[in-house]
Amino acid sequence: MIRFQNVSKIYHSGKEPIVALSDVSFELEKGSFVSIIGKSGSGKTTLIKLLIGEEKLTKGKIFFKEREVHKMSSKKLQNLRRKIGVVHQDYKLLFSKNVRENVEYIMQVIGASDQDISRDTPQVLELVGLMERQENFPQELSGGEKQRLAIARSLCHRPEIIIADEPTGNLDLYNTFEIINLFKKIHSFGTTVILATHNKEVIDSLEKRAITLEKGRVIHDQEKGKFIL
Amino acid sequence: MFIKLKRIFRFAWQSFSRNKGLSLQVVFIMAIAIFTLTSLFIFKDLSNFLIAKAEKKVDISVYFKKDIEEDEIFVVREGLSNFSKEIENIDYVSKEKAKEIFLERHKDDPLYLEALEQVEENPFLSSLNIKAKSPALYAQISSFLTKGPFQALVEKVSYYQSEKVISKLFALTSNIKTAGLFFSFFLIILVILMTFNTVKLTIFAFRDEISTMRLVGASSWFIRGPFVIQGFLYGILSILIVDILFLLSFAFLNSDLQTWLFDFNLLEYFQANFLNLFLLQILFAFLLGGISSFLAVRKYLKI
Repeated sequence: MIRFQNVSKIYHSGKEPIVALSDVSFELEKGSFVSIIGKSGSGKTTLIKLLIGEEKLTKGKIFFKEREVHKMSSKKLQNLRRKIGVVHQDYKLLFSKNVRENVEYIMQVIGASDQDISRDTPQVLELVGLMERQENFPQELSGGEKQRLAIARSLCHRPEIIIADEPTGNLDLYNTFEIINLFKKIHSFGTTVILATHNKEVIDSLEKRAITLEKGRVIHDQEKGKFIL
Repeated sequence: MFIKLKRIFRFAWQSFSRNKGLSLQVVFIMAIAIFTLTSLFIFKDLSNFLIAKAEKKVDISVYFKKDIEEDEIFVVREGLSNFSKEIENIDYVSKEKAKEIFLERHKDDPLYLEALEQVEENPFLSSLNIKAKSPALYAQISSFLTKGPFQALVEKVSYYQSEKVISKLFALTSNIKTAGLFFSFFLIILVILMTFNTVKLTIFAFRDEISTMRLVGASSWFIRGPFVIQGFLYGILSILIVDILFLLSFAFLNSDLQTWLFDFNLLEYFQANFLNLFLLQILFAFLLGGISSFLAVRKYLKI
C-alpha cells in the first residue's frame, strides 16, 4: 500500500545542510499496524510529512497504492490526503473553530452530508472524551485535550490510513493506553495505522512491527519489534 | 456543489462575526477606500459643473462695419455655424438692439444718456455674440473672422480684448482636469495598496489554519472561498457606512454647501446618481475585497 524507495530528505535552511532522512526504504501492507521509533530528530516527523506531500523529497520515491506521491497533481494529492487521517505532533488544530467544528470540518472537506456529520461527530467526540468540551475553542483546551481532539479529527472520516505522530506525548499513562487501545480497535476494522513514537511502554506493549530510525536511517525493521534505543 | 457553497458562506460568516476586531479593521480601511472613490466620483462631476459654469460666462462678440447690411451678417452667422459644430449659440444684436441695451443699462446715469443724445447717428455697431462649447475654440473663431472670407466685413472681435482671460481659463480648466486625473489615479493606487496590505495582514493571521486545511485535503476553493466571501462582506459593509455618511452629511449641510459650490446641489446629485455610484462602489469593493483575499490566500495554499 505504501512504499518508501531510497528516500532522502536534506534541509538547506541554515549554513550546514541537515540530513533528516537518508536512503530510507520500506513497504507497508494494507491493514498493517507499524510503529516508527526514534529519538527526537531521528526523522519520524519528516517521514510523515513526506508521505502526505507536506515536504518535497530530495531523493527517492514514495508510492501510495503504486502511485508516486510526489508526482501527483494537486487534485490527486488532495484526494490522497482525504484518505489519510493524521495526528500531528503540534496538533495543527483550526483555532478559529470550536472542538465540534474542527471534527466537522474534515467531514465537510470529504463532502459528507449534514446528516452524516451530525450523526458521526458526537460519536467521535464521545469516543475521545470531548463531548462536554464540544463548544470550546482549541486555545481553551489542555495539552491532553488538544491531542484527543487531533485524534478525533484524524479518525472521524474513517480514513484508510491513520498516521499518528507522538499521539500520546501529552497524555498520562492511563490516557495513553486508552488511546493506544483505540488505535488497536480502529486497526481491527482494517485501517492501516502508522504510529510514530519514542514511548518505550507503548512500543513494548503493542507487539507489532517496528521500524527504528536513527539519524535519518532505518537501523531496525522487525516484526513484533521492541524498543531498542 | 450547493452544499459546498452553503458551507463556504457559513464559514465566511462565522469567521467574519467571530473575528470582530480584525473585521472592523478591514472594514475601516475599506471604508476609506470607498470614501475616496466616491469623493473622486463626486469631485469629477463637481469640477465639470464648475468649469462649465465658468466657461458659460465667457463669450466673444464680432462687430461689423457700419455700412454692413443685416443680410450679410446672417451670411456670416451661417458661415460660422458651418465653420464649427462646437459653436453652441450665435446671437445677432442689431445696432438698434445694442442701443436699447445701452439705454437700459445706463438708464440711471444721465451723463451717459446725455452723451448719447449729443451723437445724432446711432453709434453702435451690429454684432454677433458667439458662445462656444469650449474656450479653446475662441482663438480659432477669431482667426476665422479676422483672416477668413469675412474679414472685410469685420470691424473688430472682442476676443483680442479678453484673450488673456480666456486663455487663462482654458489653461486652468485643462490643468484642473489633468491634476484631477493624476490625483485620482494616485489616490486610487494608494487606497488599493492600503486595503490589499490590510487584507494580507488579516489573512496572515490565518496562515497556519490555511496550511492545515490544505493538509487535510480541502480544495483550494473550499479554503479560499470563505476568505473571498469575507472580502465581499467587508466591501458591502464599507459601502453601507460610506453611503449613509454621505447621505447624512449632504442632507444636513446641503444648503450651506450649495452656496459654497455655486449652486451645485450635492444631495440632488447624490440621489440622481446613486445607482451608478452604487454599482461603481460594488464593483470596486468586490474587486478590491475579493481579489485581495484571493491573492493573499494563494501564498499559503502552496503546500
